[in-house]
Amino acid sequence: MEVLREMVEEEEVAEREEAAESIKWNEKVEKMVRPLEMRKEETTLTQETLRDLEKKLSEIEIPTPAERLVFTTDTIDISNLPLSYKTNTPKEEHLLQVAGNFSRQYSHLCPDRVPLFLNPLNECEVPKFVSTTIRPTLMPYPDLYNWDSCAQFVSDFLTMVPLPDPLKPPSYLFSSTTVLKYQKGNCFDFSTLLCSMLIGAGYDAYCVNGYGSQDLCLMDLTWEVCPLTVKPKERVKQKEKALPKKYTIKPPRDLSSRFEQEQEITKQQEMRAQEERRLREEEERLLEAEKAKPDPLHGLRVHCWVLVLLGKREVPESFFIDPFTARSYSTQDDHFLGIESLWNHKNYWINMQDCWNCCKDLVFDLGDPMRWEYMLLGTDKPYLSLTEVNDEDDAENLGKEDEDKSFDMPSSWVDQIEISPEAFETRCPNGKKVIQYRRAKLEKWAPYLNGNGLVGRLTTYEDLECTKILEIKEWYQNREDMLELRQIQKGTGLNTDYFKPGHPQALRVHSYKSLQPEMDRTMEFYETARVDGLIKREETPRTMTEYYQGRPDFLFYRHVDFGPRVKKVALSSTESNPRPLVKITERFSRNLAKPADEDVAERVFLIAEERIQLRYHCRDDHITASKREFLQRMEVDSKGNKIIMTPDMCTSFEVEPMEHTKKLLYQYETMMHLKAEEKLARHQVWESEQEVLETLKLREEEEEAHTLAISIYDTKRNEKSKEYREAMERVMHEEHLRQMEAQLDYLAPFLAQLPPGEKLTRWQVMHLKDECLSDFKQRLIDKANHIQARFEKEIQELQKKQQWYQENQVALTAEDESMYLSYCSQTMFRIRILEQRLNRHKELARLKYLALEEKLYKHPRLAEYLKAST
Amino acid sequence: MNRLCDSMEPRVMDDDMLKLAVGEQGPQEEAGQLAKQEGILFKDVLSLQLDFQNILRIDNLWQFENLRKLQLDNNIIERIEGLENLTHLVWLDLSFNNIEAIEGLDTLVNLEDLSLFSNRISKIDSLDALVKLQVLSLGNNQIGNMMNIIYLRRFKCLRTLSLSGNPISEAEDYRMFICAYLPDLVYLDFQRIDDHVAKLAETKHQYSIDELKHRENLQQARLEDEKAQREELEKHKDAFVELLNGSFLFDSMYAEDVEGNKLSYLPSVGELLEAYKDKFVIICLNVFEYGMKQQEKRKTELDTFNECVHEAIQENQQEGRRKIAKFEEKYLLGLSAIREESELPNVKKMIMECSEDITELSNTLMTLEMQLVEQLEEAINMFERNITDLVGSFIENVQSLMAQCRDLENHHHEKLLEISINTLEKILKGDLDEDLPDDVRALFVDKDTVVNAVGASHDIHLLKIDNREDELVTRINSWCTHLIDKVHRDEIMRNRKRVKEINQYIDHIQSELDNLEWGDILD
Repeated sequence: MEVLREMVEEEEVAEREEAAESIKWNEKVEKMVRPLEMRKEETTLTQETLRDLEKKLSEIEIPTPAERLVFTTDTIDISNLPLSYKTNTPKEEHLLQVAGNFSRQYSHLCPDRVPLFLNPLNECEVPKFVSTTIRPTLMPYPDLYNWDSCAQFVSDFLTMVPLPDPLKPPSYLFSSTTVLKYQKGNCFDFSTLLCSMLIGAGYDAYCVNGYGSQDLCLMDLTWEVCPLTVKPKERVKQKEKALPKKYTIKPPRDLSSRFEQEQEITKQQEMRAQEERRLREEEERLLEAEKAKPDPLHGLRVHCWVLVLLGKREVPESFFIDPFTARSYSTQDDHFLGIESLWNHKNYWINMQDCWNCCKDLVFDLGDPMRWEYMLLGTDKPYLSLTEVNDEDDAENLGKEDEDKSFDMPSSWVDQIEISPEAFETRCPNGKKVIQYRRAKLEKWAPYLNGNGLVGRLTTYEDLECTKILEIKEWYQNREDMLELRQIQKGTGLNTDYFKPGHPQALRVHSYKSLQPEMDRTMEFYETARVDGLIKREETPRTMTEYYQGRPDFLFYRHVDFGPRVKKVALSSTESNPRPLVKITERFSRNLAKPADEDVAERVFLIAEERIQLRYHCRDDHITASKREFLQRMEVDSKGNKIIMTPDMCTSFEVEPMEHTKKLLYQYETMMHLKAEEKLARHQVWESEQEVLETLKLREEEEEAHTLAISIYDTKRNEKSKEYREAMERVMHEEHLRQMEAQLDYLAPFLAQLPPGEKLTRWQVMHLKDECLSDFKQRLIDKANHIQARFEKEIQELQKKQQWYQENQVALTAEDESMYLSYCSQTMFRIRILEQRLNRHKELARLKYLALEEKLYKHPRLAEYLKAST
Repeated sequence: MNRLCDSMEPRVMDDDMLKLAVGEQGPQEEAGQLAKQEGILFKDVLSLQLDFQNILRIDNLWQFENLRKLQLDNNIIERIEGLENLTHLVWLDLSFNNIEAIEGLDTLVNLEDLSLFSNRISKIDSLDALVKLQVLSLGNNQIGNMMNIIYLRRFKCLRTLSLSGNPISEAEDYRMFICAYLPDLVYLDFQRIDDHVAKLAETKHQYSIDELKHRENLQQARLEDEKAQREELEKHKDAFVELLNGSFLFDSMYAEDVEGNKLSYLPSVGELLEAYKDKFVIICLNVFEYGMKQQEKRKTELDTFNECVHEAIQENQQEGRRKIAKFEEKYLLGLSAIREESELPNVKKMIMECSEDITELSNTLMTLEMQLVEQLEEAINMFERNITDLVGSFIENVQSLMAQCRDLENHHHEKLLEISINTLEKILKGDLDEDLPDDVRALFVDKDTVVNAVGASHDIHLLKIDNREDELVTRINSWCTHLIDKVHRDEIMRNRKRVKEINQYIDHIQSELDNLEWGDILD
């Protein structure tokens, strides 16, 4: 109220100035003349009422509520803020005057409505118009291009602070930069930031000042069902019933009693109805219980949210966004109880519609002056033709917009909104956020915050008090083992891990109760990443079932039954005691290259019974399939000879008996083949078992280590690239040092012999020079001698070798001779090189000597003496 | 050719020789014992080796129907013969023989590898049937003409060729020539053709090859054209209105009509004939179009019918398979239970149960089949009715159109008669202006001759029209009867096959059960 009075006083002062100014405008705008007079009359009226109001207001003393603002101007460091934060430009001043005038007229015309939320103070205690606080900004992150991700970001990034007075708009509205810096804000701060981002991204977005439900205002989600737990409704696929064709056969006559059927149906319906009723009652009872006590302040709680109008960015329908929860609501939602005003960066509108039925009847056509009273005329909302009112009415009612006609909203005083990549990644304050939903708790973490890559956890509870855990879902990111989601069901103890593509074993889903082998588990795989095309492997203590896809041998199913483990007492090695195989069943899909009668559909190895059963594929026009059963018992006939094959070892049923299959030879060959296959199948089963063990071991190790993968583009976290960069820097540094060294004084060792810091005498200089030159000369000679010595040595050795060769030439083997020859050629090469070096050195030595001498003459410390000497 | 064994007596490919060879080359060890025990049928043999046997004549191989590989190298064979039945042959080796000409290979369409190394062949031909040929060995022969290479261009799969030791291989650009004319070849004379040589050869012989290619393409195009035309005609024939989309019928009417042609020299008959032809052709075209449309209709009718029948059969089969699968599951459990059961009364009881199951399955399957038969019968009858109706209405309409043709002809005849008589009168009066050919003038001696001539022409025309109509009607009727017969026959065949299948299956299961019983009692 204090603020309001101040504003009113300001208005009065501004009034006169404005009148003077308006005369100037008069020259420019001819139309102005008539409305101007009218306006003057009005102002007097307003002034009277205002004074009246002032008097009344001064009498009323409002007890200031206990300070519970967490986020106040005291905590903000305003020293570093730019000038635009601390002062108002003339244009802004003017805007404030206009706004004051607007507010005055409004309160005059609508005395029963609360004052407008027009120009709250910013963090520097300077009044700023709300529209100028919106700073449209397009964020440089592609993630923040759509409204949902923007809203989610704002709701995650900021911590909610309740309004100081839940029934009034705040007296302060901070800039978005400050809000982002401190990561705190009330609903107005939230909305302003979100609105800035949405307008920047091209949406037609508005901040809305209105009234919301208690849950909404206090960001209380405990009554809401967590959106992550809502299962998407399964779409009922409507089977398209093909029209019966002309010759479609008629179904066989139905001979069952229709009466009985009807009876049955009615009975079932009754049952179902009863069940439904029971369920509904239950539901209602629960709802009743859950329903909170009615809010005494219902409909009075001030809230601020964002409205996105249809049209831009292909938004098909207008909707609200609650900035606290980032949820979108339809404009008819029950949570929104009324709208006072709304604004964007260009204009300010007052709602002139009745909100008796919440926001359900509101029409968001801002171009309609009957419904929405605008403050500045420069609106881009077109008038609707049907709401075109005649000028007189307009002038009578509110004739104030005319002088605002040529007035634009000044640009925002807020600095560029910036979010650093670190802050963007960390998102929530301190990287952590907890949201309590109805029967669920959602925790969020920033990536890399947790060592095991955990970024989210949703705990679902059975009861409302959140004591009995039903299920835990954990989301992971950047795991090296590609774990993406883990689901733990507390009831059954079943864990399900979901992996992204890229696990070393191509694991996709792994559900298990424990990581011990030979227990119930299911593993699913990315079959394209596997050579054997395995999709799924299910295990129980006694069986193992594997499903395959796209194998060249057409195998798609293998089922193994294990027997109980035979106890071996004597043998110590427990590891090599596999469970005995009882039965292996393999199924194959149809191989079209073979006739159906020769294409095996199912192969059962009854290992315990030494039997093999084959079932072939069914021919297209048949309903029975061929079968064959082999008994592979080794038998011995009466004479003690081994019986190779007898007709009763193979029983077969053939759909169409063929001649060659009756032959023993054919059967024998088939059986031999099957025996080999059986061996192979057993081996494959063993391999599968090994693989399971290996996978489990690997999983255990991965769980232990839970290393996180770091992108090579992540310069901050990637140790390798960091090291590389550091190494590069080090190299640069060293290079620099070397350069420094190169400039070292070659006279230093000689100068060091002299007492330091003293001026050199001429004699000393001469001496120094001679010494230096002679030293260099000595070095050159030494070098020449050195080369000479090496040269001579090589020649000597060569001669020795040649001598030896000539002496032993007869006794030498070819190998030795070739060795000798290669030695000779190598030595000759070395000698030639040495010779060249020596010659070159001789040539260059003189030049080098002269060069040094010249350099000495030019040396800064010696130059003057030497010059003098010459 | 000049072989040591030349002096030996030539041998005959008799049964003993073949049996010996089959026995030697057949399965070995345990399997060999089995094979010996049972004997091997010639038609089961896949590969046969008959080298160094001094064979003069290929004979007695007709039983080896499934032979894939045959080796007859190093013999003294003079002619390729007796291989007609070996249609599955993939590999044929006839090297080191005395063959003079390639022949007798026309049925070996699956042949991929043919060796005629070291023979006396002088010309490559008679290989047209060997479309899958990949390897051809013709080394050490007497091929002297380079043009033989061009013959090999037709084998699209040919990759390996050997021609060394022939007179042509001494030619200067022998390799180049072959590389150029057979660009798909990979190995020539046991050497890989490297890309460089291939490219060089191509540039060298480019002109002649381009010309050859052009000729080949032209021929190909002509063949395709002919084929398309044939197909088009076939389509029209299927619709029974072939040669009605033009003036063929009209032309054929005048083709044998001597008098008619003569009469057309009369004044104003030319125009009359022109008009008559136009009208006639229009009617013919109508018939043609109508026929094509009807054909389309009949086709869709038949397709729908076939589709529906197929669907019905499929569904029924699925049902049958499901029933059998269900039964088998139960039955197998029952069997293992019986095997484990030791008390005789219990066993008997279980066996009884199993037999009951079998009977029930048999009944179910038969019921299903009978149901399908009934349903199909109904559909077939409906189809028969519809197709007969379609054909009937088609015939009716064609006949009415043909009647129009006849009317036209009658009309034309009247006009012609009138003109002829007028002309006769004029001639008799002697005031005919135009010149007429002598043989035409010969007609106009008296009225009877003229009327006869015109009448004869008219009769011929009518006969032609009637013939065409009759042909159409007969053919479509016979088609219709055939179709319906076939549908019925197919259905009966299907039914019998299914019943047989079911019986066979039931018998098998029953016997299995009986055997089990018997075995148990023995125990």
